[in-house]
Amino acid sequence: MLKRALAIISLLLIGYWIAQGLAGVPFGQDRMLVAQYYLDHVKEQTGAVNAVTAIVVNYRGFDTLGEVTVLFIASTGVGALLWRRKKQRTAKTEGSIVLTTGTRLLVPFVMLFGAYIFIHGHLTPGGGFPGGATIATAFLLLYMAFTAYEIPHKAFEKTEGAVGMAYVLVGLIGLAIGGYFLYDWIWQDWGFGVDNIGRLLSGGFIPIIYTIIGLKVGTELSGIIDNMVKEEVSE
Amino acid sequence: MNALAAIGEALVLIGTFFYLLSALGLIRMPDVYNRMQTSTKSATLGSLGVMVGVGIWALGTDFGSAAWLTKTVVIAIFLLLTNPISAHALIRAAYKSGVPLWEGSVVDKYREHLEGKEREEVEAPAASEETPAEEGGEE
Repeated sequence: MLKRALAIISLLLIGYWIAQGLAGVPFGQDRMLVAQYYLDHVKEQTGAVNAVTAIVVNYRGFDTLGEVTVLFIASTGVGALLWRRKKQRTAKTEGSIVLTTGTRLLVPFVMLFGAYIFIHGHLTPGGGFPGGATIATAFLLLYMAFTAYEIPHKAFEKTEGAVGMAYVLVGLIGLAIGGYFLYDWIWQDWGFGVDNIGRLLSGGFIPIIYTIIGLKVGTELSGIIDNMVKEEVSE
Repeated sequence: MNALAAIGEALVLIGTFFYLLSALGLIRMPDVYNRMQTSTKSATLGSLGVMVGVGIWALGTDFGSAAWLTKTVVIAIFLLLTNPISAHALIRAAYKSGVPLWEGSVVDKYREHLEGKEREEVEAPAASEETPAEEGGEE
């Protein structure tokens, strides 16, 4: 009781403190400094209509590389923590026929939608991370509905590593051509899709990088799911 | 305001009404199964009404285009396909984890079926299996 009261009081104090800090921030007023620059120049500098993905991939591409690394480390960490010599699915009951049939029907559409999200990252909301998570959801559906389903490990791990390297490779090509890491060579040097802004074939290297990130996130999260649902079998 | 916008607004109204009914059902109904029954059905129908209604409503306005209707219809079909499956899985999981039926329920054919199956499994091995090596002495 005393513990709970103390916790509530301290939380209220922290909340009041944060509210005091936020009270000085003028919400709803036009106080954009850097953001105005992004909004003004995003089209001719990156070719993307979606300013968020342009910032995430193009202006601040290094952060995204860091995030992908964080995910990779998380996946590797889960794999290392749950590493066992012999692992198997130990689910007892198969999903009901409604569930399995529905899953069979839905999985291609879920994957298609995930691919749609990450391919259209420079046009619509979303991008590599939501798209990859959607694809991992499709694999989660398969895991939940079928007792015997397993992802093809060899192919998945190889894809994960290959697309991770491809991201760095795209950045290194930019370094070789333009002088700094993750330089958008497709847009700045080739001018690919200059009069195509707002359509699919534009946006410099954003669609390419988001396809890479989507595949990477999809395979990584599926791998995490795979590690977590399997259990040790003693044999 | 033209006819398309009016139809869309009417559909959205109907959809929100069914949303309200499904929320009421969650409060009113006595057990899990009845609550799922009322909430999933009317929430699915309400969502369909709201989404298709928004698509048609957008057709009637000057900023809307056919793309709105296409998107909303795709989402509606997806929801129509997935919502019953999820409700089915939830109900089945609830039954399998032993959530009791409402005390006014009279028939539970699924339990009879499960019990019948168990009985079969208990009796069947002795009858069907020819000579299991380690259980041969039981006969």
